[in-house]
Amino acid sequence: MKFIVETRGLGKEYGKKAVVRDLDLKVPKACVYGFMGPNGAGKSTTMKMLLGLIKSSSGEVTVDGKVMNGKNRIEILKGTGSLIESPSYYGHLSGRENLEIVKTLKQVPEQEIDQVLKLVRMERQQDKKVREYSLGMKQRLGLAQALLGHPKLLLLDEPTNGLDPAGIQEMRELICQLPEKMGITVLVSSHLLSEMDQMADYVGIIHHGQLIFQDKLEALHEHSQSGLLIRAMNQTAALEILQRENISCTVRQEGIELSKLPDDRLASLVVRLVQGGAGLYRIEEQQKSLEDIFLSLTGRRSSL
Amino acid sequence: MRREWKTEWMKVRYRKIWLVLLGFLAMTFLWTGWVVNGGKPEEIRDGYRWILTNLAIINTIFMPTMTAMLASRLCDTEVKGNTIKLLCTMETKGRLFDMKLLTGACYLAIYMAAELGALLCLGYILGFGEPLKLRHALCFLIQNFLVSLVILIFQQVLSFYFENQIMPLAAGLFGSFAGLFSWFLPKGILHRVLIWGYYCLLSFLGSYWEEETRIMYFYDVPLDRTALYSLLVLLVLGYLAGKYLFLRKEI
Repeated sequence: MKFIVETRGLGKEYGKKAVVRDLDLKVPKACVYGFMGPNGAGKSTTMKMLLGLIKSSSGEVTVDGKVMNGKNRIEILKGTGSLIESPSYYGHLSGRENLEIVKTLKQVPEQEIDQVLKLVRMERQQDKKVREYSLGMKQRLGLAQALLGHPKLLLLDEPTNGLDPAGIQEMRELICQLPEKMGITVLVSSHLLSEMDQMADYVGIIHHGQLIFQDKLEALHEHSQSGLLIRAMNQTAALEILQRENISCTVRQEGIELSKLPDDRLASLVVRLVQGGAGLYRIEEQQKSLEDIFLSLTGRRSSL
Repeated sequence: MRREWKTEWMKVRYRKIWLVLLGFLAMTFLWTGWVVNGGKPEEIRDGYRWILTNLAIINTIFMPTMTAMLASRLCDTEVKGNTIKLLCTMETKGRLFDMKLLTGACYLAIYMAAELGALLCLGYILGFGEPLKLRHALCFLIQNFLVSLVILIFQQVLSFYFENQIMPLAAGLFGSFAGLFSWFLPKGILHRVLIWGYYCLLSFLGSYWEEETRIMYFYDVPLDRTALYSLLVLLVLGYLAGKYLFLRKEI
């Protein structure tokens, strides 16, 4: 598989504190790569190191096959767009004038401004001063700036931060269409797991500066180990039947939890529970949410 | 380099920096006009020396504050809009620092040219007896442009460093007072250490008051070359240190 971004042993230390440790990121081409982690896990620091905005303490970054260094950084970054933390803008200028500055620096033709404005649906607000924009519009302008110059790679750091639900939905739709429509690889960071579930093809999870998971989103879901939850009027009778059937289970407040069974075995169990007077009234399949998987991977339940 | 240079001028659109410069120029020449108003024919005859002597003090008061405002107007757009992290993916951080400084230096040069132009106009209107000497014009530029340029570097670093622009502006006001006091203190090490003291150190005209006639006479003073060389050293060191600090600052 070809990777557009690869890091080897990437690390960043502030004094004695390691913020990012030994990070081996592998971002495949033309996909949405979700970079997840709780607040303070090292996502933004990693993104900044990928852009060369901060110097890494160790390791190297390869973008599109080229190892980035101080000399070729700007050349390599010509093929990338970024939106790091909050959007960057000149409030006293209009949206279009802001884009003209980026256009001049990236040396792209004027028509591209119209294209990106259309893409982020900002044609009608382009002549308004940016200081009068809502946060959602500023984020869209940031995305438009990042999209100028047809980048191969887009780095978006928490792009939905501070947006209202409609804005989040809109941003999500925009991001999802980029790999297919324009062949752009999007590396997007977020601490919102539900967001990643809806956007990402690949995910990387960072925790305490270390990458603890990296694979396809489906692979992460495979960690979910779905189970069954049985609810019965007579729980004691139900437990006896399960014991007789040699099925291990756990009693919880919400019912009896057992691991997933083959369909034929489950069918016969249902018959036995009904005939045995357990008063079975509900069987539900339990799927771990991405959040549960994340928590089980990181082993923490706070600060998400 | 051209594209970065071009974008600097795109960024300052609607920032009304001209208005700041025009305001200071107006204040300077209102003050000068007030001084000239009570002038005796002897003083008018040697008008350029007279005005340049006064301008040296007026500029010592106004230039540090104006330079602080200029640097602030140029840099706070980047600080307020979080644009450095965007710009540094398209141009090097060092280039951004240089272009910003060059833009500020251009404004300073234009201001100096405007002051000289206004001075010539004043001379023409009032009919100064002697023409403006080239030496005076050059020394005036060294005294005001070079010193203000070093101050601009200092102010630019401050304006990039502080999100709240009150601190750099306060430094500018402090500079104005420090510069003013330097004219009334005996020339010493303090003048050479504090950059605002160089307006006084590089004065190229002297004056004496004749009590009997109650007339102020002006004469040429050789430029303090040691001060000029140490100013040039300060310019280079200030630039290198300022750029180093800016490059070191994490985005």
